[in-house]
Amino acid sequence: MNYRDKSDFSSHSGGGDAEATLRLIAKLAASDGLEDRVHAKLITAPRRGRVLAWPGAFIPAGGWLRAVAAAAIVCVVAGGGWGVYSRVQPGQSAQGIAGTHITSQGTGQGAGQGQFSTGDAVRRPQTLNGPAAPPPVTTATPKHKTPTKAAATTTQGAKAKTVKKANTAPVAAVAQ
Amino acid sequence: MEIPKSAVHDRARTHADEETLAALVSQYAGTLYRVAFSVLRNPSDAEDAVQEAFMRVLRHRDTLSEVRDQRVWLIRIVWNIVLDRKRRAKTRPETDDVAELARVLPCEGLSAEERAAAAQHHAHVLACVETLPAKERQVLMLSAFEELTSVEIASVLGISESSVRSRLFRARNLMAGLLNHVRQ
Repeated sequence: MNYRDKSDFSSHSGGGDAEATLRLIAKLAASDGLEDRVHAKLITAPRRGRVLAWPGAFIPAGGWLRAVAAAAIVCVVAGGGWGVYSRVQPGQSAQGIAGTHITSQGTGQGAGQGQFSTGDAVRRPQTLNGPAAPPPVTTATPKHKTPTKAAATTTQGAKAKTVKKANTAPVAAVAQ
Repeated sequence: MEIPKSAVHDRARTHADEETLAALVSQYAGTLYRVAFSVLRNPSDAEDAVQEAFMRVLRHRDTLSEVRDQRVWLIRIVWNIVLDRKRRAKTRPETDDVAELARVLPCEGLSAEERAAAAQHHAHVLACVETLPAKERQVLMLSAFEELTSVEIASVLGISESSVRSRLFRARNLMAGLLNHVRQ
């Protein structure tokens, strides 16, 4: 429904004044020769507004050339990615870290293939004085007691008992 | 050398597009100019806006056949262009535009004294229009074009028809308040 069908809006005198003025503006005629100037501008404008314009001779029917070009781009990108992936072996990073240990000092050429170079880093040993070890205590060693005769006899008796048990055990197992 | 069919079709299509575009220019250049002028209030700026609108159409001429209402589509394009330009040229004083517009507006059959009074009145009304909120002002300005229905205004502004009606109602109330306040 058109709002102009409703006459209730025109009751506002202020709104009517404003619309009368705006209608005057809306009815202003365009300057002479506007269409010709617009035509001229359109004729002189560049024909193609695309970023990548295909030359006329290379525009095939069906656009198969575009598909081929897109496929080639995909192949190049995928091949490049695969090449990078195949060169980087899994776990190589750990080897690379291990390679940072100094293999040759000062030359920077000691790193093997696939390892990080030392970057001419020179490994220096700890030169600071560490904790000093206390000097050995020189005290008199206590005198060992000589074994008594009774202790010697009890140990010999125990040895004899174990030998005897070892000899009788297989016989009992066979009998059972 | 045999000319491929696709080349013939492309040329024919390009030719048809150019003819369609030329017809659009002949038919709607004046309307677009008036829409642009109502916002920019400067003849050369309005003409630039019309040319830019048709340049955009030229760039998207492949989709020209998909446009349902070409008139509303064109008005929407030029409306966006002029709003963008107006926003960028915000530093320019509005009073100069209003005075220029009051001088340009037609006032046939009036004496010199009446003409001066009418110009002053138009300038005052337009100054009040400029003080309206942007949403209400845009609807009020587009409603001045008698060839645009509320549905078409809604399509140009990208809002619903009920929003157009409510904004127009508010705009008229606000204008009445502003002008009555000045009269008192």
